[in-house]
Amino acid sequence: MAVDLSMPVLVVDDYKTMIRIIRNLLKQLGFSDVDDAADGTEALGKMREKRYGLVISDWNMEPMTGYELLKEVRSDEGLARTPFIMVTAESKTENVIAAKKAGVNNYIVKPFNAATLKSKIDAVFGE
Amino acid sequence: MASQSHAAVRAAADGLSEKDDISLVDVLTLAEASIRSMKSFIDSLDSKVYDEFREIAQYIQKTKSEIGHLQANDLRSKHIPEAGHELGAVVSSTEEATTKIMECAEAILEADTSDADAYQQLVNDKVMIIFEACSFQDLTGQRIAKVVETLEHIEARVTRFAAAIGAEDIQGDASEKEKKRNKRKKDLILNGPAKKGEGVSQDDIDALLNG
Repeated sequence: MAVDLSMPVLVVDDYKTMIRIIRNLLKQLGFSDVDDAADGTEALGKMREKRYGLVISDWNMEPMTGYELLKEVRSDEGLARTPFIMVTAESKTENVIAAKKAGVNNYIVKPFNAATLKSKIDAVFGE
Repeated sequence: MASQSHAAVRAAADGLSEKDDISLVDVLTLAEASIRSMKSFIDSLDSKVYDEFREIAQYIQKTKSEIGHLQANDLRSKHIPEAGHELGAVVSSTEEATTKIMECAEAILEADTSDADAYQQLVNDKVMIIFEACSFQDLTGQRIAKVVETLEHIEARVTRFAAAIGAEDIQGDASEKEKKRNKRKKDLILNGPAKKGEGVSQDDIDALLNG
């Protein structure tokens, strides 16, 4: 399945700088419809208003973490099938296992580069 | 001294038990021996209690002195707030520099390349701004060195205090706020960035996800 570059992507991170970095990388990869949210609660609100083709989320945010967001998304019938990539500095084995159990599609550890982001997006969409 | 007194009481008591006719003098002798025996006991008790109180007073005095050396008010009002300000300045300056660098990179990516000379000039200008922005590293290095110095200052005082009073650690949270924070960290698996050499690599993560 080819990656649809016109699909809306939601970037969730509490650091504006990181949002800007990911936005620029996505732009370079060809994505044109990119929104952002500063934490899980804001992201969930946006996801219930607009159908996103991909969510790229940080883990450590307040008040709602990316891990909680992932579990909320997977337990919501309308959102459950949304592809979800965790991009985080949390690099302990227990984090990866917990995210896998919660239904994450891919997991990128910070710091990362454009090639890693592209390969993980491609992997999620089966390219 | 005490055993002599006890022996005197016992002798007086034995003397009385052997007599059929006990005089007032005999009773007074026994009473005097008993009082002498009790006095030596009370005297020894007074001295022991006095020594204990003196030790407690010395310990309180020493602890008071060590609390003074801890300079808790100085740490709370000066060193810790200063370290907080330094770290705040590090966050601001790194954010400011990153924003400048990204603005330059974005401007280069979006620039019109049809006029080669103008494009070259723009790239040169933006690269100069990027170089200038990178100077934040020197300042943040100095600010972080000051924070490390503060931590060493606190460590030295706390270590001295703990050793002086023979402190033993009690497990648990110091406050409700700390308790909530630690519970959140545990429940939501918030470990933070791993130290160098710790944590798993991207390859390990890929293997875990695909395994």
